[in-house]
Amino acid sequence: MDMNEIKEIFFQECEEQLAELESGLLKLNDGDRDPETVNAVFRAVHSIKGGAGAFGLDDLVSFAHVFETTLDCVRSNKLEPNQDVLKVMLKSADVLADLTNAARDGGSVDEARSKQLIRELEALANGEMSAAAEAPVARAAPVAAPVPAATPAVNDEGFQPIPFSFDDFGDEEQPAESGVPTYEILFRPKSELYAKGNEASLLLRDLSRLGEMSIHCDTDALPLLEDMNPEEAYFAWKISITTDKGEDGIRSVFEFAEWDCDLEIRAVEKKSEAGVEAQDELPMQPVPFDLSILDEPTDVIVSEPEPVSPASAADFGSNVVPMAGAGRDEAPASEQRAAVAQPAAGPAAASAASSAAAAPTIRVDLDRVDRLINLVGELVINQAMLSQSVIENDNNGLSSINMGLDELQQLTREIQDSVMAIRAQPVKPVFQRMSRIVREIADATGKSVRLVTEGENTEVDKTVIDKLAEPLTHMIRNAVDHGLEPPEKRQAAGKNPEGTVRLTAKHRSGRIVIELADDGGGINREKVRQKAIDNDLIAPDANLSDEEIDNLIFHAGFSTADKISDISGRGVGMDVVKRSIQALGGRISISSRPGQGSVFTMSLPLTLAVLDGMVVTVAGQTLVVPLTAIVETLQPEASAIHSFGASQRLISIRNSFCPLVDVGRILNFRATQANPVEGVALLVESEGGGQRALMVDAIQGQRQVVIKSLEANYTHVPGIAAATILGDGRVALILDVDAVVAASRGQSLKQEISLAATG
Amino acid sequence: MASKKAAPKSLSLAPVLDLNEATALRDKLMALKGSDLSIDASAVERVGALCAQVLVSAARNWEVDKRAFSFSSASEPFLKTMQLIGVDIEHLLAKETQR
Amino acid sequence: MKKKVLTVDDSRTIRNMLLVTLNNAGFETIQAEDGVAGLEVLEEANPDVIVTDINMPRLDGFGFIEGVRRNEKYRAVPILVLTTESDAEKKNRARQAGATGWIVKPFDPTKLIDAIERVTA
Repeated sequence: MDMNEIKEIFFQECEEQLAELESGLLKLNDGDRDPETVNAVFRAVHSIKGGAGAFGLDDLVSFAHVFETTLDCVRSNKLEPNQDVLKVMLKSADVLADLTNAARDGGSVDEARSKQLIRELEALANGEMSAAAEAPVARAAPVAAPVPAATPAVNDEGFQPIPFSFDDFGDEEQPAESGVPTYEILFRPKSELYAKGNEASLLLRDLSRLGEMSIHCDTDALPLLEDMNPEEAYFAWKISITTDKGEDGIRSVFEFAEWDCDLEIRAVEKKSEAGVEAQDELPMQPVPFDLSILDEPTDVIVSEPEPVSPASAADFGSNVVPMAGAGRDEAPASEQRAAVAQPAAGPAAASAASSAAAAPTIRVDLDRVDRLINLVGELVINQAMLSQSVIENDNNGLSSINMGLDELQQLTREIQDSVMAIRAQPVKPVFQRMSRIVREIADATGKSVRLVTEGENTEVDKTVIDKLAEPLTHMIRNAVDHGLEPPEKRQAAGKNPEGTVRLTAKHRSGRIVIELADDGGGINREKVRQKAIDNDLIAPDANLSDEEIDNLIFHAGFSTADKISDISGRGVGMDVVKRSIQALGGRISISSRPGQGSVFTMSLPLTLAVLDGMVVTVAGQTLVVPLTAIVETLQPEASAIHSFGASQRLISIRNSFCPLVDVGRILNFRATQANPVEGVALLVESEGGGQRALMVDAIQGQRQVVIKSLEANYTHVPGIAAATILGDGRVALILDVDAVVAASRGQSLKQEISLAATG
Repeated sequence: MASKKAAPKSLSLAPVLDLNEATALRDKLMALKGSDLSIDASAVERVGALCAQVLVSAARNWEVDKRAFSFSSASEPFLKTMQLIGVDIEHLLAKETQR
Repeated sequence: MKKKVLTVDDSRTIRNMLLVTLNNAGFETIQAEDGVAGLEVLEEANPDVIVTDINMPRLDGFGFIEGVRRNEKYRAVPILVLTTESDAEKKNRARQAGATGWIVKPFDPTKLIDAIERVTA
């Protein structure tokens, strides 16, 4: 793993954090005041900042920092996250996303916008915290560092690496040059120092690396064994050190410990060389320079300590204090021992406290999954071929082979489903992106809009998700720009001045259905009709149903706005949306109620890789009809067929009439209509709502087929959605039911584009 | 100075003499009170100030009790750390370990 | 013998950086993604030093440190707090919870290794 890979991970993580951030902010916007929501939002920004700092992404860091500071005000209840505050924060989340993208792809961001937001965020933070730090980017210095008041050495940005060079070491007899100052240090640890995992001996080790040092251990406070608390700090040290690292250098050694010890440092005025040791009347032990032994055992010889004042066993550890020192008199805080052995209930309690652990996930390169899916696809085909050949060669029941094949079929099916499931992802990220689109367009149009999303966890193939964003974006823009009325108009109509756009996803019969509903004015049919007439899309006297008028908006270049606004884009209309949905094997329809709004309904396949189909024969060709489209199949009787007009026929099914469509004729497989009585009728329901009976010659059976794109391998064929390979190795075409149904309304497939116009 | 009745007892120190060991070390020493004691510090890899305190305190106790207290052997890290933190134990080392 | 470091951080980015940095510096690295997971792996990890983030879901750094300090066996392990928090208050809270030291992000490999060397023998 190198830095570039980690950076890639960072950006992936940013995406997740940004999604987390947005959904959290939206929850807050909806009045959620759960502290964990605020924490999650804070963490998201915090985490982005942390990673960005590591990669030196300064723009990202400084923006995230300001954002974080303001969020911290919310977290500490200094700032009420009302709608106005959240408006700024949501915009900030958008800018943070832009900055992240810019950092990843090298693009640029709208600097004016981010500067403006920085000002707004700062204003929010400062408004509530009085005029504290006015420039949060340059981090405010800590207001008050505890205990040792004057600690210029303690840089708040992090401890200073110990200014230490190995060069200082090798030379054992480096004399205390006259220019190098000597310091006297009093170091008295408190018990907390040890309790927090710090160690006096390590601090002294680091200190000794600063220069030539002698040390005196003050054991006065130490009681006898029976009176002592083994975890209480009794030792104190008096140290004399000659170093050019200054007081700052000395303090930096004690940076982690300074709250948990008494530390006095003073520079010793230059007297005679001898005076340094003499002045305190305390014999000091010189500390050997080479302390490498403390890092790892080596065969370094311990240097002989200097002989000191008359030694006895009693003054072990101290050369001046008589044996049973003052420590005896000092009250041994034996009660403190209670603190030592607290029950270790911590971990258990902590893990019980939060049970909502996320399901573990893995990240897999999409290419690998796709390769696997392809292989499984081949396996499915291969299994079908194998079945076929066994059936063909087997006429006296090799039941064990057949059973084995059945199992194989079951197995391949399961493998396929599981592999497909790997690609399935919730639509959440796309939905979340939409809330930003709504915010931006609401801003641009001066409308007040609320986006409600439902079914964000509905899963669908990743490819579908990826391709969904663009049409959805366009539709959302349309809904806000054209669908919702301006606030005044809404108010006049007795509506909430704030418009609502509702985005819903759900699974329905093996497809995903996405609905986009607005509570706006609905389609202005008169206007649409007039526009269509003006653009020569329909004849002035054309007789269109409401549904047909509504569907006119899917025409190329159609826009009902009086002037094409920047928002909906130029030249990109609902026709493009419709085409991209269709390219995904999906259907789109609209239903609109004047004064109450419009609902766009998209139905998409869950996967673009396989399909449950009914294999049928039409004019000698094998076709596959998607099973999801078929309502029922029936054998038409002559009495149920009614002809009208030149070539139109209806079939009566349970007392209602349904247009009969000869698939062979529509696809131009044959020149004349087949006799319905000789074929089979498939009752299908199209997204437009109407039912049609599709005439085919015979049904071969049902099977799951692997979809092979026709566009990718050949070219688009009207009425055909894709192709597949059957068990016998033949290529079969997959019928585009909607296109066929649509074509049946007109004369042929080629006129599909102007269908609505001709009715 | 050695006890007339009991043979000198011995105590081997653990490799890591940290915060966690301090209480255990004190308890071990308390149990040996009243006997001459020879401590084997040859296995010590690291020693913290808290355990150094316990050892110094014990040495005083033994002195009060008029019992012998010595180190039969000591590892380099043990000696080094003691010297670093200014605790003089040279005179408590058995003759052969002294240099 | 390699020193064992337990890292606790919810950011995959930082976890990976810690891993690379510590491995390069010759440490053995065990990782957990939040305080709860950190306490769970404590026994198995048997670390010489712990590096932990503060802001984490489920159990934050403060809670995690307190948990370690309450653990009979591992309460003496030095704990370094790795966080972007720069204000004295957060540092103070971490210390009160029982942190040994801290490393202020942005993440700098030298700082990290230095700090670990400072608190370990």
